[in-house]
Amino acid sequence: MWLRRLATDRLARGQHAPREEPFVVVAPVKSALRLVAVNGHAAHLGLTIGMALADARAMYPRLGCADADPDADQHLLSAVADWCDRYTPLVGIDLPDGLILEVTGCTHLFGGETLLCRDLVRRLNAQGFEVQAAVADTVGCAWGVAHYGVSALVPSGAERDSLAPLPLAALRLAPAVVDALARVGLKRIADVLDRPRAPLAARFGQELIRRIDQALGHEDEPITPRLPIPLYVAERRFADPILLEADVLGTIEFLAQELARLLERRGEGARRLQVALFRTDGKVYRTEVGTGAPLRDPARMRALFAERLAAVGEVCDPGFGFDVIRLSALVAERCDAEQTGLATPDHEAEFAHLVDRLGARFGLRRVVRLMPQDIHIPEFAISAVPAHAVTMSGHPGVQVVEQDSQGSVRPIRLFARPEPIEAIAEVPDGPPVRFKWRRVMHDVAYAEGPERIAMEWWRDDQGRTLTRDYFRIESRAGARVWVYREGLYGRETAEPRWFLHGLFA
Amino acid sequence: MAEPLPTLPDLRRMLTPGHLRDAAHRLALGIPMIDDVLGGGLPLGAVHELHPCRPLDHGAVSGFAGALAALLHNNKSGKQIVWIQHDYTAMEVGALYGAEFFGLPLSSLVVVHVPRVIDALWALEEALKCRAVDAVIAEIAEDGAVDLTATRRLALAARDGGGLGLLLHHRPSVTSSASATRWEIASAPGVRDAFGGLGRTTFALSLIKNRCGPCGCWTLAWDYHERAFFIPALPLGVAQTARDRSARARSARAA
Repeated sequence: MWLRRLATDRLARGQHAPREEPFVVVAPVKSALRLVAVNGHAAHLGLTIGMALADARAMYPRLGCADADPDADQHLLSAVADWCDRYTPLVGIDLPDGLILEVTGCTHLFGGETLLCRDLVRRLNAQGFEVQAAVADTVGCAWGVAHYGVSALVPSGAERDSLAPLPLAALRLAPAVVDALARVGLKRIADVLDRPRAPLAARFGQELIRRIDQALGHEDEPITPRLPIPLYVAERRFADPILLEADVLGTIEFLAQELARLLERRGEGARRLQVALFRTDGKVYRTEVGTGAPLRDPARMRALFAERLAAVGEVCDPGFGFDVIRLSALVAERCDAEQTGLATPDHEAEFAHLVDRLGARFGLRRVVRLMPQDIHIPEFAISAVPAHAVTMSGHPGVQVVEQDSQGSVRPIRLFARPEPIEAIAEVPDGPPVRFKWRRVMHDVAYAEGPERIAMEWWRDDQGRTLTRDYFRIESRAGARVWVYREGLYGRETAEPRWFLHGLFA
Repeated sequence: MAEPLPTLPDLRRMLTPGHLRDAAHRLALGIPMIDDVLGGGLPLGAVHELHPCRPLDHGAVSGFAGALAALLHNNKSGKQIVWIQHDYTAMEVGALYGAEFFGLPLSSLVVVHVPRVIDALWALEEALKCRAVDAVIAEIAEDGAVDLTATRRLALAARDGGGLGLLLHHRPSVTSSASATRWEIASAPGVRDAFGGLGRTTFALSLIKNRCGPCGCWTLAWDYHERAFFIPALPLGVAQTARDRSARARSARAA
């Protein structure tokens, strides 16, 4: 499929360029402004790509022009590729202005190859794109016919006949090779097809032979898909676009039932699900949710997407409605059916579902379990691990902390960045007698410590991280805080600084 | 013959919502003085509000909430505990850290970080509805969103789920709410232990709202070894620390 006037179509769609007048897009090529794209009217006037803008202006002084923007063109091409997802999940991009769709096994959904091709061209034309599309058994043949041919449909086995009359450029050869072939009088594909291969390869390179083989189907040519191919897909199309969130969610549940049947047949459950909402005007929204355990229950899938859509609601504007909704499982895992009791409620599953829903709303990284680590530096001693990634059995559980003190040895709240305080100590390496935190002075009634925590020498940044002496302090009012002095007085630093690191209960 | 006029306690009982009267769904603190005032303990299936007395008492508020959750977790089947932390409070007074030193096992604690107050309320409501959750603790940085309607929703959700909902305010709140109780919490000077350590965490509690009875003020100490509250009237440090804990030490070594 070839969007032959992508750059000018893009500008015309954005109403930056007139549709009914000649218009060109220019870019500096070798210190001259040359045409890189022309619209239909300009092409009729005889303007061609590669012509200097000055020449074109000399012929037609009132010619409209704009600067080329390859990034915007590519962006638009990806958007069109997204849209083409409605026909097949396997869409590849053929830079700079083509798309390759693998429609094997998809055509019957649209009433055959011809109808699919016609539908695609009609819809894209309606969106303001000039499209040439061809359906063939090989990528090479389809490319050649789309760019240079007339008939859109190449029947199976007729590649040779349909390619033969086309110019050699239709084989996707480098311009230099085409020029070299033209110089010896070979202009059409028919001219090279029946010639002995060895002399051709020796003179014009292996590329020519490879391209011929690819076009005729003697050599396989893979398509690189833009998006990962989902493992399971269920989708629904609507003659009339749907607008209401309730309808969208209802459809998702319906699709989830279909997906659940597919998953069940293979004994798997989904770990990552994606919904693609195709808006009538071509915009595609994709929303993903992850789950903590393999999931097959349609009602739960619906609930997860309800949270997700509520969280991204403003972004997902239905406009004039969605006409295709697709639910796919991107990651699936083995999920054996479990025998559950009839009388006792299944708390573990219920809680897993709660975690999934919280994760769908806030992001899975925000729903965490605290895991003790084998590090004595307080900031790293407990790390937050996403709750869906931790299984109950994998958690180290309660660590028995033996201590002499009847108070807790670690604070219940810890500052991510220790807060500097002004502290006055009686002796340089003793506990403070008074400290000022957030502009309030606190008298120390009692101090427990020091607990000396040195930084790990193998991570020590050339001795620049200082040893900390921690004190558990009770203020005269009874509030307990965790403060430390950074640096050993006299050995590591002359002026130790004080920090407040946490609050005890 | 005329019926005898109802007494004041009878009237109060009649006005109390039905689910708060049920004595079975209560968390007894183990201190008769307080449990009597609460009518047998802190009602479960309800939302309670906690706020600090002074800025430095945020640790005490978290500690008391953690202690209540640990007490409940200890008494009941040991289901999950959800702690909802607003990003603002985590920045302002620190993120939840040494929960296991308060008797909250980390294996049954899930922390949810939320960006907005509305999200915290939503998460609180969702978690309260879940029957697999013992206690839900949510920290709220501003009171504007926590009005009567919002707390009414939370109270209904808690009644359905049967769990304990604790709403931790960042500062003393004056807005009316549908919570069952409201506590003002300050840390109190503790009694030193035998080794010269700081001793047990001590709270100065004032119950400033109680839908099922009178209010009051108490001083309580929390022992995380025993997971129980004590009245710190006497310096009992010697008797407590002298207890034989050789079995615990053995199990720790084995682990």
